[in-house]
Amino acid sequence: MRDAFLDKLYDIAREDRRVILISNDFGAPSLDKFRADLASQFVHIGIAEQNMVDVATGLALAGKIVYMYSIGPFLPLRCYEQLRVHLGFKGFHITGVMVGAGYSYDLSGPSHHALEDIAVMNALPNMTILNASDSIMGAALARMTYENKGPKYVRFDREVFPSIYKEQNDDFSDGLTVLKDGYDLSIIATGIMVHQAFKVVEELSRHSIDAGIIDLYRIKPLNGELLLNAVKQTKCIVTIEENFLGGGIGSIIASLIADSGESIRLKRLGIPDYYFSQGGGREVLHRLCGLDVASITENILKWFKGK
Amino acid sequence: MSQTVMSELEKEAQSVRQRILEMCVNAGEGRIASAFSCTEILVALFYGGILRFDVNNLQWEGRDRFVMSKSPGVVGLYPILSDLGFFPDIELEKYCQPDGRLGPYGDNIPGIEAVWGSLGHGLGAGAGLALAAKLDQREYMTVVLLGDGECYEGSVWEAAMFAGHHELNNLVAIIDRNWICTIDFTENCLRLEPLANKWREFGWHVITIDGHSFDEIFTAFKDFRNGESGKPLMVIANTVKGKGVSSLENNPMGHIIIPTAEQLDRARGELRT
Repeated sequence: MRDAFLDKLYDIAREDRRVILISNDFGAPSLDKFRADLASQFVHIGIAEQNMVDVATGLALAGKIVYMYSIGPFLPLRCYEQLRVHLGFKGFHITGVMVGAGYSYDLSGPSHHALEDIAVMNALPNMTILNASDSIMGAALARMTYENKGPKYVRFDREVFPSIYKEQNDDFSDGLTVLKDGYDLSIIATGIMVHQAFKVVEELSRHSIDAGIIDLYRIKPLNGELLLNAVKQTKCIVTIEENFLGGGIGSIIASLIADSGESIRLKRLGIPDYYFSQGGGREVLHRLCGLDVASITENILKWFKGK
Repeated sequence: MSQTVMSELEKEAQSVRQRILEMCVNAGEGRIASAFSCTEILVALFYGGILRFDVNNLQWEGRDRFVMSKSPGVVGLYPILSDLGFFPDIELEKYCQPDGRLGPYGDNIPGIEAVWGSLGHGLGAGAGLALAAKLDQREYMTVVLLGDGECYEGSVWEAAMFAGHHELNNLVAIIDRNWICTIDFTENCLRLEPLANKWREFGWHVITIDGHSFDEIFTAFKDFRNGESGKPLMVIANTVKGKGVSSLENNPMGHIIIPTAEQLDRARGELRT
């Protein structure tokens, strides 16, 4: 996904010399091409995230359109105050691109797991948060972040996901997509969990539960109206996210429901308040925190049948 | 620079200190001691022809970019900027008022390219501005004013390393070396010395001056545009925190003091002489 994004960004940067890409000593095959062909538009800032955001700000002050490319969770966590002041407060047209959503860097341990970033970035005014679910979207986000002014935060998973979207339908201005209608309940997922949701839906159907899937890819600003409209049939939501429950999409949607005054049931699934550090890979971690297909299905069944 | 001009500037600096004092006393807010240590520097930059700007065209592409990283000192700049015409004098009276645009740390101030309130951002942002100038082959200089206590922030050194590596010889940083942070002398808190050596090792050309001497300030900036050194320039300006008011001068707890009653009378008297 990040290569699809960077490839498109390369095309944009070729046309518009104002586009600058900063990397905190983090690479990608598509980045090599950028560095080779557009050397004057690439800044290798080193492992210095605070300086990355400060320098990005200086470049933005001089009229540049800046992309900060980082391995998560160091953007945003290592430089959060800089993001707060330059992006949240001053609103510069700077896009932070983080690769490593959730447990992407599974074997690297909690220091490399991006579990809090949705919560902390959601706390910043002016911020747009985008969490890509396939490469078509990844590519489209390059133009979207370039054309729309203001601070953006883009999350990419490391895995190669099967395509959900079609190239010709790459208008992602709604912020969410109903991928499948459902009669009984609506699963709202983001990132890798969108793909997990497809498997869960299949399992649920064996138990005669017809679940829909909504891909929530723009977490902020939330398209509350569209979301509430999408669930008015079921009035029953399960959110699934591969990050901490605290402050994640489940919490955000809970706030939306509370503010709306509508009667909608909500079950939040995600990572509990604990840093799982066991080795063995992402599936091991999923089993530990209840995000494997079997656990998600079981949790939904218990909850849904319990009503 | 002639002696006449120097005397005029010295008088101007004194007048600026008087206006800073009254502004902060009126509002009960503002870092007077911090502003007083860099008054001569700011007067030299803005009145002395060091910085290029056009008050009638604030966005003039050829303007030098001045970054106020040492945000507590920004109140020291307000009387200067209003006097030069960057904004109306009435703003000084509206300092800290609901309908005013001037606050104790500053935001969106005409004449200042960027000021934040929190410390440690200015050098990196200045480096970004300087880098953009190189990329676009523009001739403006970027000047960043930092505090010495501010140099405790790691982000300052990240920026220092970056500027040194990229040989940003269109970037100047000035440290208002007043030897006091907020609740102690810097050398009691964390030793900054040998400060000049540190910047040299990061790839900067370093000049150390008396920050209250206009002669030395102008000498430091004599050739700053010619880019011959191939290095960013660091001017370490030794200053006295609270300069001009005896109750503030070199007072390690002076950072937040706004004189009142007898102290204020004495301060006003000292600034009149």
